[in-house]
Amino acid sequence: MSDRNNKIPFDEDNYTHNINRNNERMLDRRGFMKTLAGAAGVFAVSTLPWGAVAAKELMGLGDKEYPHQKIADLKDVKVGDSVKFHFPSENDSAILIRLSENKYVAYQNACTHLRCPVYWVKDEQEMICPCHHGKFDASTGAPTAGPPRRPLPGIEVEVKDEAIYAVRVKRYEA
Amino acid sequence: MKRSYVGVLILAAILMMNIVFTQLVVHQYYYENYGVTLLYAGLNILLFPVALFVYKNEKNKGGSKGYEK
Repeated sequence: MSDRNNKIPFDEDNYTHNINRNNERMLDRRGFMKTLAGAAGVFAVSTLPWGAVAAKELMGLGDKEYPHQKIADLKDVKVGDSVKFHFPSENDSAILIRLSENKYVAYQNACTHLRCPVYWVKDEQEMICPCHHGKFDASTGAPTAGPPRRPLPGIEVEVKDEAIYAVRVKRYEA
Repeated sequence: MKRSYVGVLILAAILMMNIVFTQLVVHQYYYENYGVTLLYAGLNILLFPVALFVYKNEKNKGGSKGYEK
């Protein structure tokens, strides 16, 4: 009997029973509050991965150390010379430069523009990418000229037992 | 019809704080302040039970009939 008033009485031009009353309370106050609480849950869940990666960084898991790799003997690298090597995998070409008696720097030498190999020009004391003449500062890896905008990823080196070892790759700065 | 909009307002405020905290989490992560990132992520997660609590308390307030209260 409760549905009595919701029926179309006869098949004629329907001017009086044309309002559909189903779902008329779809967006009431309670439903709206339920949506808001659900949205709060979505936000809570969406921050979980950020918290997880932040915790991972805090615990130092992101700073991965690779097996130490010998680059060269000290006596083979004179001041101002450079040595090519591969670190951490054999597909990541890298370059070691001896800037002074006790200062060694190493970078992954794929240019940050289009990944051409960057090489060390001793006469100009600069790292130069031959493809588009990008230049990098040897002591920091920062780009100084040409198209590249980001620094070369540095490699930490360690001198031990008259030899130079590659230890880990520094964080890539975007 | 009598209505209580307190719950709606509180929940809207909570959602606003959620948006702000999420934004801060992302920014502080890229600024490499990981401790602060964790703090804001924790606050953001804590807001969800608070929102549920407010919803449960407020959902039956302000009905049009007296016995609904």
